[in-house]
Amino acid sequence: MLVLGIETSTTRSSVALVDTDRVVASASLGVARRHGEFLAPGIAFCLEQAGIEVDRVHGVAVGIGPGLFTGLRVGIATAQTFAAARHLPVVGLSGLDVLAFRARYTRRAICAVVDARRGELFWAFYRPAPGGVQRATDPVVGRIDQLTAEIEAHGDDVLVLGDGVLTERQRLQDTGAEVAGPELAWPDAADLAELAVPRFVREETIRPDQLRPIYLRDADARIGWQQHDGPAGGPP
Amino acid sequence: MLVLGIETSCDETAVGIVEDRFHLRANVIASQVELHAPYGGVVPEVAARAHLDALLPAVDTALVHAGVGLTDIDAVAVTAGPGLVGALLVGVSAAKGLALAHDLPLLGVNHLRAHVEVAQLEHGELEPPLVALVVSGGHTSIVVMDDDGVFRELGGTIDDAAGEAFDKIARYLGLPFPGGPEIDRLAREGNRDAFHFPRALLNDGTYRLSLSGLKTAVIRELRRLEAAGEEIVLADVAASFQEAIVDVQVTKTLRAAAEQGLDQVVLAGGVAANSRLRERFAAETEANGQRLLVPSIPLCTDNGAMVAASGANLLAVGRTAGLGLAVDPNLPLAG
Ligand SMILES: [Zn+2]
Repeated sequence: MLVLGIETSTTRSSVALVDTDRVVASASLGVARRHGEFLAPGIAFCLEQAGIEVDRVHGVAVGIGPGLFTGLRVGIATAQTFAAARHLPVVGLSGLDVLAFRARYTRRAICAVVDARRGELFWAFYRPAPGGVQRATDPVVGRIDQLTAEIEAHGDDVLVLGDGVLTERQRLQDTGAEVAGPELAWPDAADLAELAVPRFVREETIRPDQLRPIYLRDADARIGWQQHDGPAGGPP
Repeated sequence: MLVLGIETSCDETAVGIVEDRFHLRANVIASQVELHAPYGGVVPEVAARAHLDALLPAVDTALVHAGVGLTDIDAVAVTAGPGLVGALLVGVSAAKGLALAHDLPLLGVNHLRAHVEVAQLEHGELEPPLVALVVSGGHTSIVVMDDDGVFRELGGTIDDAAGEAFDKIARYLGLPFPGGPEIDRLAREGNRDAFHFPRALLNDGTYRLSLSGLKTAVIRELRRLEAAGEEIVLADVAASFQEAIVDVQVTKTLRAAAEQGLDQVVLAGGVAANSRLRERFAAETEANGQRLLVPSIPLCTDNGAMVAASGANLLAVGRTAGLGLAVDPNLPLAG
């Protein structure tokens, strides 16, 4: 069962082709804000290098955030039309789930944290479970002091990871938590596809038009008016 | 040859299908106007979210209207700019997903150019040279399309675009967003000679336009009437204001045509839906013996058919884009 994985919800974009239990091909880019130019050529590259025809792809797994809005939409829009055009089932997974899944070999509680820009973070707590991790709290958006307070209140030993922890290392360490480094900072498409494979097997899938990003923030949080055809900068 | 065109540069999610460059097969528009109305303008993040929700259903509906399946489509065209970067990226990403799925050529379309080229769907092959006025919420440009199909900008607004002026005055008159259609409607009941608002740069010998002085003059006049306790007939204000804008655009565009020795005029863009602008252009080009090409109203405002038409032209000359196609929020009209 061949699954195409797409993850563009952070400053790092990645794509992967995963065949049940192994990564067949993958590509990633660590340059922010180029998701839109990287993604489709990245998919084409993976298919071509692996010598796989597009009609052999069985399903599409895509990161649905929370994360950078523009990147998220690049991934979801591409996944949606690609899957719809090929009549493929879809699985949407949170980047936070993917991050926690990467740390599944720890015995600690896991807190996955994604940078939300503008001094805010997205996070959720997980606990280890057989064969993976289980989400213990719903994703939320907040500031670093709310996060440190929650980690302190958590009681158990906590492993904190994600790109949201990179600039707040010291403050998080002061809570007594273990803070992961850059090697566990970004959700990866190969992990995402691997995590999604059992869902395709169990047919816990959705239709492409049912994919929706997890925003956790109102669209008009940062008002900026634009006229038709006007030059523009955009939100994240 | 069927080309599917996707447009998401501003606040309309639109998909069109064009056959053999000239035949409109589908033109589906999911408007976001109601989402932005409470803010009195287009909120970029609101627009980008709505595009993502609306795009796939719009593609499906367009295919149904055209009576074809995705496997019948020969190429995918998409607006690459100018526009809101987050909004453009939704359309471009979706277009790439379609292109990847069926190994279709991808065409990166200039939105402003597409506003002009859409005329070919109702008037047949455009035969340059011709002069075009591209007038919308963010643009007011007078351009020449030369023999070789290259666009050359003669001039444009140095401050507000026409649509922008309409929206601002409409807001001032307490009319809902978007202001253009509201002023158009109100102006039909008003006296366009009731006020004489300024026509800046009308006879300065250039193709530049300026509308911010007009806007200020309207606001000053309203304040004066208010202070004097006089009754304000909004329809008269709307009609006189609209006439001033129309005057400048008709005069400058037709002077450009005369001076450049061109007898074909294209009126393009969202503001080309304005009834008075259409009326004046029709009357004066006829009097001058010029040929006027103006799309019907659904093809003036942002739509997917224009993107499909412009994309079909690109395909015909082999100018396809790679899957790495980037969006350009400031893509210029010239070129
Ligand atoms: Zn437009």
